[in-house]
Amino acid sequence: MSKLGIFDLSVRYGKVPAINDLSLQVEEGERVFISGPNGAGKSSLLNAISGAVPTSHGRIELDGDMLTGRAPEAIARLGLSMVPEGREIFGSLTVEENLRVGTGLRRDAEAVDSDMEDVFEAFPILRERRSAAAGALSGGQQQMLAIGRALMTNPKLMMVDEPSLGLAPKIVDQVYETLCQLQEERSLTLIIVEQSSLRAARVGGRMILMRGGSVVGEGNAADMVDRDALAQAYFGNPKCKEVNS
Amino acid sequence: MTNFAQLFFDAASLGGLYAMAALGIALIFGVMNLVNFAHGEYIAFCVFALIVPSTDAVAVMFLGRAPAVLLVPLILVIGGMIAVASEYAVFRHLRNADPVAMMISSFALGFVIRNVLLATYGGRPKAISLWPELNTPVQIAGASVPLLQVIVILTTLLVVAALAFLLKKTRLGLEMRAAAENFTMARLLGVRANVVITGAFALSGALAAAVALIMATQTGVADVRMGGQIMLVAFIATVIGGLGSLPGAVAAGFLIGGVSVLLQAFLPLEARPFRDAFLYTLVIACLLLRPQGLFVPASAKPRV
Repeated sequence: MSKLGIFDLSVRYGKVPAINDLSLQVEEGERVFISGPNGAGKSSLLNAISGAVPTSHGRIELDGDMLTGRAPEAIARLGLSMVPEGREIFGSLTVEENLRVGTGLRRDAEAVDSDMEDVFEAFPILRERRSAAAGALSGGQQQMLAIGRALMTNPKLMMVDEPSLGLAPKIVDQVYETLCQLQEERSLTLIIVEQSSLRAARVGGRMILMRGGSVVGEGNAADMVDRDALAQAYFGNPKCKEVNS
Repeated sequence: MTNFAQLFFDAASLGGLYAMAALGIALIFGVMNLVNFAHGEYIAFCVFALIVPSTDAVAVMFLGRAPAVLLVPLILVIGGMIAVASEYAVFRHLRNADPVAMMISSFALGFVIRNVLLATYGGRPKAISLWPELNTPVQIAGASVPLLQVIVILTTLLVVAALAFLLKKTRLGLEMRAAAENFTMARLLGVRANVVITGAFALSGALAAAVALIMATQTGVADVRMGGQIMLVAFIATVIGGLGSLPGAVAAGFLIGGVSVLLQAFLPLEARPFRDAFLYTLVIACLLLRPQGLFVPASAKPRV
């Protein structure tokens, strides 16, 4: 059974198309990387799935529940959580309050505290700074907070938009390590937007290549990176690394 | 003779009134970027709910006759209800509209409420006497202070403390603060937009009702126009405090109240009729120097 199903999805901003007739299946517990150049529609895809932007055509289903046309808060209640581009943490709230915002939808109130422990275990710096204003955290700490906050909703499917954006490579390693570990522990389905195919290959999973609002390539991340290297060897421009046939 | 204790009580009670009105506006602005210019009309509506609907010159008390223990909660609920009703009738349909469109429709809503009041009660200001015994002065620290001023100050402190408790310690408060900062993100985390917005309107309306009770007691007049004046000051307070910042709204409310009492006391006699011109000159200076508001905390700034 497919966990997330996207069928003929189109998203438009006014008259500007962002996603064109895209179809995609993501299996339960799978790890999927979405890569592609700027403007490929990666973030639009995530935003459409989470309900943050309206779809103009097609449908999205999660475990047989229709997501299309639902409000973001209703979609979150179906078990979908998002770590958006730019992290979007609540800067004036404390770290702990940030983690608690998403727990209102849960029916297992008694598990909230133990989940908070798990998040603190994964990111000890958050425990240290739990009473600090989240706006005072560094970029890497904010990324950890955004991931922790998404986990606190106890999602079935978590989508992470560019976790490596603006972070030092060492921190990115740590973030990915934790993401993978959490995925294993909680049998999460993960969808990650990641510009670096090299990074995706190292972490491992399926890779989907987007361009111009459509899927233009798909395969095992480790296989894709070889082709990627080939393309780079031919074109010599790392900015064009997504161009491959 | 200027008596400092007297000045203090004048400033604190006027400031408290402004602070409560400004809070009502800041709450709504925080969650939906709407400057609700109908807020003043909520206040007028609550004042008129005290008297029997008629266009006679003499007001006959209606709800106002109820004992205070009943009347206060009743008016608070009425205030909350008119605010929530206006959200259902008007603002809910404009959720995704331009903020300017929302603001203009709030003006329109204000006109509708004001004209309903005009049609029901007539345009003449009516004398009402709500708790007249509260205007008897008591002696505090050498100053002769109307009991009402003390009550206003205590009420403001109580309201601010209750609001702070609600925002800091309750689930709804947490969701409201999150939504005020980033509504889309809050919704992505399962925060129900309708609950938060309805809650904000109910609180805002209850604050309008508290202001209405104080104004009715203080002035002894029910006037259709009474909401407009305080709305103007309250709006300025929210702007100076930093739009959407609740502590800022409270602080700026007290600041404006304090400054206007000080100007009244210390301006030369000839200049006193122009007090408001001096006050608003200071407001302009404020906005020129700190357009983002006086009390915007550093932690609220976005970080890259």
